[in-house]
Amino acid sequence: MSTFVRIASTEDIPQGKLKAFEVNHVLIVVAHTVDGFYAVADECTHDSEPIHTGRIRGNEIMCSRHGARFDLKTGAVTAPPAVVPIDTYELKIEGEEIFVRV
Amino acid sequence: MSNAGVVEQQKRDLSTIGADYTAKYGFHDPVDYFHKGVRGVNHEVVEMISRMKKEPKWMNEIRHEAFEIFLQKPMPTWGDSALLNEIKFDNIYYFMKPIENTQKSWDDVPEYIRKTFDKLGIPEAEKNFLGGVSAQYESEVVYHSLREDLVKLGVVFLDMDTGLREYPEIVRQYFGTVIPASDNKFAALNTAVWSGGSFIYVPQGVNVTAPLQAYFRINAENMGQFERTLIIADKGARVHYIEGCTAPVYSTESLHSAVVEMVAMDESYIRYTTIQNWSRNIYNLVTKRANAYKNSTVEWVDGNLGSRLTMKFPCIQLLGEGAKGEILSVAFAGVDQHQDAGAKVIHVAPNTSSRITSKSISKDNGRASYRGLVKVHKGATNSKVSVECDALLIGRDARSDTYPTMEIDNDQVKIEHEARVSKVAEEQLFYLTSRGLTEDGARLLIVNGFMEPFTKELPLEYAVELNRLIELEMEGSIG
Amino acid sequence: MMKNTELETSDKQTWLSEKRKLSLERFNEQPLPRRGLNLWRYTDPNKFIAVPNTAGVEAKTGRQPPGAENEKKNLANGHLAALAVDFACREIGVEMGSEARSKGVVVSSLSAAVLSHPEIVEKYLYSLINDQFGKFEAMNGAMWNDGIFVYVPKNITIEKPIHLVRESAEAGASQFPRLLIVIGENAEATIIDEYRGGSLDSDKAPTQSNGAVEIIGLANSRTRYVSLQRQGSGVNAYLTHRARIEKSATMLTIPLAFGGSTTKQNFGVILDGQGADSKMAGLLFGTDYQHFDNHTLHHHSAGQTTSNINFKVVLKDKAHSAYTGLIRIDKTAKTCAAYQENRNLLLNPGTKAETVPELEILNEDVSCTHGATVGPIDPLQLFYLSCRGIAHKDAVRMIVSGYVASTFGLLPEDLREQISAYVTARLEEI
Repeated sequence: MSTFVRIASTEDIPQGKLKAFEVNHVLIVVAHTVDGFYAVADECTHDSEPIHTGRIRGNEIMCSRHGARFDLKTGAVTAPPAVVPIDTYELKIEGEEIFVRV
Repeated sequence: MSNAGVVEQQKRDLSTIGADYTAKYGFHDPVDYFHKGVRGVNHEVVEMISRMKKEPKWMNEIRHEAFEIFLQKPMPTWGDSALLNEIKFDNIYYFMKPIENTQKSWDDVPEYIRKTFDKLGIPEAEKNFLGGVSAQYESEVVYHSLREDLVKLGVVFLDMDTGLREYPEIVRQYFGTVIPASDNKFAALNTAVWSGGSFIYVPQGVNVTAPLQAYFRINAENMGQFERTLIIADKGARVHYIEGCTAPVYSTESLHSAVVEMVAMDESYIRYTTIQNWSRNIYNLVTKRANAYKNSTVEWVDGNLGSRLTMKFPCIQLLGEGAKGEILSVAFAGVDQHQDAGAKVIHVAPNTSSRITSKSISKDNGRASYRGLVKVHKGATNSKVSVECDALLIGRDARSDTYPTMEIDNDQVKIEHEARVSKVAEEQLFYLTSRGLTEDGARLLIVNGFMEPFTKELPLEYAVELNRLIELEMEGSIG
Repeated sequence: MMKNTELETSDKQTWLSEKRKLSLERFNEQPLPRRGLNLWRYTDPNKFIAVPNTAGVEAKTGRQPPGAENEKKNLANGHLAALAVDFACREIGVEMGSEARSKGVVVSSLSAAVLSHPEIVEKYLYSLINDQFGKFEAMNGAMWNDGIFVYVPKNITIEKPIHLVRESAEAGASQFPRLLIVIGENAEATIIDEYRGGSLDSDKAPTQSNGAVEIIGLANSRTRYVSLQRQGSGVNAYLTHRARIEKSATMLTIPLAFGGSTTKQNFGVILDGQGADSKMAGLLFGTDYQHFDNHTLHHHSAGQTTSNINFKVVLKDKAHSAYTGLIRIDKTAKTCAAYQENRNLLLNPGTKAETVPELEILNEDVSCTHGATVGPIDPLQLFYLSCRGIAHKDAVRMIVSGYVASTFGLLPEDLREQISAYVTARLEEI
């Protein structure tokens, strides 16, 4: 099982914002919603757009290219044209630091 | 009388009904627009369309939201940008009542269309309809007897407007779930101004043996520019839907942008056959896509003959295990035409298979393009895909392009793709002419042989008409 | 934004300075290609943004370049016609075999060639890859420090290969290799262009390599060009190759890619004279987290030309390959025949392959086919071998060896053995 990797501090990502990282050769995006922080793959499953260029809508992340949406908690598709769920990654906060396991 | 002349005449006629045509286009109660033909599209026009149809609030909101998306989205940069950028959105009528449509006279129908009707032996009544001269195809009798059989089975086959009125819950459940407004600029436009199209619902286990033909049910209003079609086959159902016709269809309005959504539930079967031969002034930009669930089969049989520019990439998303998809497409690009056709298959579930067969013919300075996508997601283990695209070039200026993309994210799959581009072979011609055929006759035979995988899938009367039409195209007596 | 002062150049020729300036302007005005469009759909352009050039610092301190001992031995044994060793594009050492020297073959640094063969260099350098190309080619056009020049005069045949060893500097540096090859009328030669060295750690300090190769094959010439990419696992390698062949000339291009962390290569041949024929036989072997993005182009601008591309991909672990191949036949290029095949062998789950074979045909008088396949080793083949008592791992190795054998058959003998051994070693890890 791979380990948790520190990627940023909580103040690096203001609420409502997205930020992209590369962890162990995997491109991920961390979203800061009203409910907290979530980590998903930085690639829309519809047409491979780097989804960190999109935006947060409630508890969903929306891709800027064709409007596909995914639930940040489960990765499930909430709006077409995507049909495949997006990969989610475990994220934990320790103090002011964000850790992600990929 | 020229087209501009007809429109002017219409305006004069309509102005006597009481509305003032030269009123400014500020925000008035859209009821004012009812009697006028208004060019261009904005929120008022969208509101007018929705109100005229007396739509529920949720559909009205979907339209307005989609219109916003249409305004924000840029034109696609791939594809034939030169032709696409010729579209003048402000210069198009987005909605016309049939009464306005039928003010045309036979003289307004272009010469080449009238000649084709004659050569194809199209009966008078049909000629009027196809030429846009009459609003209704006089086939009520045929249509009614068909309807009774369907009603007995519980099959719903209506135009989309009526479908929304009589089955709002079903429409609401599926509308926009396969093709959202944000999918592309033209899907957004269609979602905002759609009118007409077909609504089909086949209940569980029902097998509709005779193909459902749009031809007999529609009138000019529905054979429109922004058709929206929704076909749902419930579990185990089977249906074959045919629309379009080989005879050229004339329309003054140059932008046609239809959206077709299909949902094939577990174990069901849907085949959608279309042959389109729009007149040479038309931009035909269509988005069609199907969601195929467990063990279902979806087939798109697509013939593209006319129009100035057609962009159409039928798509099947294989979402359930064991689903199968087949796309068979034929495109004929003649003088000044660009057929930008193709196919898309998305494999999401395991044990799915698909086959794409694309045949294109470019003649004179026509240009046929194949644009395809085969995407196999991580979970689609044991998928099989086979793609074959062949292009035949006739004439020194013909052009053929192939842009197939394959994105494969699973190692336990079998993907094959093959394409061939060639001209009519000299040896073949020689062989046939030495058996007494003229060179034209020989070429025609070769072209028919090339298209055979497609024509053999058509109902007989379509196949016969298609053959005759190809013959005319090859003779060069059209256009 | 790069400033003129950062451009270290001792160009004595004004035409060359002009070209560099143009390239620099072009580089500065062009934005970074947008991710997702056309040729940049599969690779992040940020991977190729050069870090400040520290290679120069290395060279100046007089550090000895890594030895090319094996190659020197090959030259001494007469297995090579000539050998050039280029360290970080700064120090170029050339050794010529007697035959090559006596026949007037030229292998030298580009800076020397600008002075010794000015007409040829001025005519052909930047003729195929220049500021009109794209941002990264403009970067190379402005920044190449020294490159290599190979010239085989008219009617000269050289059987043994000319081997060019391009050694990257260590971690954290960037270099811009440049190569100009001119094969005279009716001449024949084989060039092995090998890129190696560089960082082994892509996280800490990747090495950037941005190379450009221009090859001109004059009428009736016969060229075999092998591009061997064996860079360290911390190297981000970008390479643009363009060759133009004239009337009745032939060219065999063999791109082989095994190394690097992120590699993006673009190989193109322009068939610019009747009767020309071009073949490309590519092979790439990806392992670990390697990412390969290859584009090939066969452009028929003259009639009665033939071309054939066979591009093979083998992937294991989490490697990823994207291949786009374009065959373009111009309106005036009648009676051409072009073929293209891309086959992708995926050895385990976690690999990913993309393939986009494209055709743009502008006249009817052609014969053109292309094919592509993606999949694992045929389970039937494995079954057949296991029935004969061969263990699964050995069976996989045998099948992959068979798969690549035909490509290896096109290589010069010594190289063939070397590459074979290399691939076998990698297969051992299965």
